[in-house]
Amino acid sequence: MLFKVAWRNIWRNKTRSIVVIASVAVGLFAGMFMMAFFMGLVKQEISSAVETQLSHIQIHNPAFADDKEVSDTIANAAAIIEKLKNDSTVKGVSGRVVAAGMISSSSAAMGVEIHGINAADEKKVSSISGEMKEGIYFSGKKNEIVIGQKLAEKLGVKLHSKIVLTFQSVTGDLTAGSYRIAGIFRSRNSAFDEMTVFTNDNELGQLLGTRSGIHEIAVILKDDKNVNNAATELKKQNPALLVQTWTELSPEMALITGIFDQIMYIIIGIILLALMFSIINTMLMAVLERQREFGMLMAIGMNKPRVFFMVVLESVMLTCAGIPVGILLTIGVVEYLAKHGIDMSAFSKALSQFGFSNIVYPELQTSMFLPISLMTGLAAILSAIYPAVKALQFKPAVAIHKI
Amino acid sequence: MSYVIEAHNLTKIYNPKTIPVYAVNGVDLQVEEGEFTALVGPSGSGKTTLLNLIGGLDYPTTGDVKIAGVDITKMSENKLIDFRLQNIGFVFQAYNLIPVLTASENVEFVMLMQKKPKREREQHAIELLKEVGLSDRLNNRPTELSGGQQQRVAVARALASKPRFILADEPTANLDSKSTENLLDIMAKLNKEDKMTFIFSTHDQRVIDKARRVVTLVDGKIVSDEKQTQSS
Ligand SMILES: Nc1ncnc2c1ncn2[C@@H]1O[C@H](COP(=O)(O)OP(=O)(O)OP(=O)(O)O)[C@@H](O)[C@H]1O
Ligand SMILES: [Mg+2]
Repeated sequence: MLFKVAWRNIWRNKTRSIVVIASVAVGLFAGMFMMAFFMGLVKQEISSAVETQLSHIQIHNPAFADDKEVSDTIANAAAIIEKLKNDSTVKGVSGRVVAAGMISSSSAAMGVEIHGINAADEKKVSSISGEMKEGIYFSGKKNEIVIGQKLAEKLGVKLHSKIVLTFQSVTGDLTAGSYRIAGIFRSRNSAFDEMTVFTNDNELGQLLGTRSGIHEIAVILKDDKNVNNAATELKKQNPALLVQTWTELSPEMALITGIFDQIMYIIIGIILLALMFSIINTMLMAVLERQREFGMLMAIGMNKPRVFFMVVLESVMLTCAGIPVGILLTIGVVEYLAKHGIDMSAFSKALSQFGFSNIVYPELQTSMFLPISLMTGLAAILSAIYPAVKALQFKPAVAIHKI
Repeated sequence: MSYVIEAHNLTKIYNPKTIPVYAVNGVDLQVEEGEFTALVGPSGSGKTTLLNLIGGLDYPTTGDVKIAGVDITKMSENKLIDFRLQNIGFVFQAYNLIPVLTASENVEFVMLMQKKPKREREQHAIELLKEVGLSDRLNNRPTELSGGQQQRVAVARALASKPRFILADEPTANLDSKSTENLLDIMAKLNKEDKMTFIFSTHDQRVIDKARRVVTLVDGKIVSDEKQTQSS
């Protein structure tokens, strides 16, 4: 019956209670939506980085990873690639010849990382082939190169322009090759676009003098949850090689998700702290205007723990009524925007500089509902303490005769 | 014969440091079980203060109050609440009832505080409301009841805890004469049939006429204490 009394007491002043419930709901929505937005942004960024740069797993000769000497190829690359291609959990494998070099047009020169690839294999691992702005992703002709739009702008070159790549061969001689631009791509990451060029692996191997040597094996799995298991397995099979997952290749990116989690709780905490003032205020008003009633209740035998409990209960019920509203609001809005996306093109220039995309698809963080609900409940209890103590201080003899 | 209430040399001084008001001044009062006693006196004579003291709603400046032999003036506030719950029924002039509860829930509420089982609470509440003539108003909230009906619910509520006695401070002050008579009849009946002890303060001569004992206060002192025979 105490629950009944508390619940009905909340509705004695409907407007006031609705204001509190609405502010709790909106406060929680704001926090949870922000989380969904940033998580969506981060997850998109991660998958974009995985698709363009990182892959799920990369395999290198440990020496190559250290100083990028072209002589440090992967010893039994062909066998490893063959094996991975036959693995049913693997979506794509690409062996790459990688060299640092210089790209020069008639007007400019830039340092780049040259990826010698097999177009058919690389297509299964990287999304670049789907991000062509001009031309095509290798036609099979000789001396083709695919470069990023940003780089093309800097070099002042167009589709089908001729450029020259210069790099050190395996013997240490400076070697140059002349290429024609077959395609220009634009990924979400303009830094990557500026730094990476693609050519045929065999041609590059020949110029480098590494022949069929491979520097990098990139693997994409069918299910990204298997990454760690697959990497462990590969490490076991190839103890001499460096096997890295995308989180190892880019630990800062993996960290971001965890950091956002913590930031989120801090933000929700701040929102709740602000809400607490409104709850305290409301509960204090509710208690003070019922002074005579509390006097009467204590006169007829409602003891102090019960009075205290009732005030806390009212506060918790009032506040927690906002939780489902806030959660439903969040689910509704986030689900909708997860389908339709939030167009951030107004800010896209700045965003794409950091590799973020134009359209953000927020991602619902259902795992936060419980901890956030508990935090809100705690805030409600804390907010009730002062009003409840106030209620206990009423003297029945005085309170009853207050007009 | 032991007394249900024994007040000895009771004094209550308000504002002792500034302008002291001797609201109750050296009162000795004994009440026996089964009394139907009116506390009368001019406004400001100390009726409410005295009722508060013997009901354990306030502490005296000096003197003591024994309820069934237990001195309540030494109890802590919280202990006193539980003591009131088990021993004393209250009917106030107004604002007796919990506004969000129905008549029967209001009556049940004290029994809930006493941790009585639900079945017993519900049954007893219905019985009590029937006794005060409100069996057709069980599920009405206070705002849906007349002043007289509200006071009858308050009497039923006061009875619900099975107290030793009921204190009523001007229970009829806000009632019209018909409701006043009705409430007094119910109280008199409960007094007669169930031996429930009532002590009530009043200004109303018709209410005073119904009492069997009339204690008159003036300036916080008892100036007369008379038994009167009952016509009804
Ligand atoms: N809380 C208080 N502080 C100071 N003085 C008080 C207080 N309560 C009562 N008094 C004073 O004590 C005296 C007795 O008051 P009390 O309310 O007991 O009288 P009463 O007989 O009940 O009067 P009424 O018939 O008007 O209800 C009065 O002079 C009153 O002004
Ligand atoms: Mg009075």
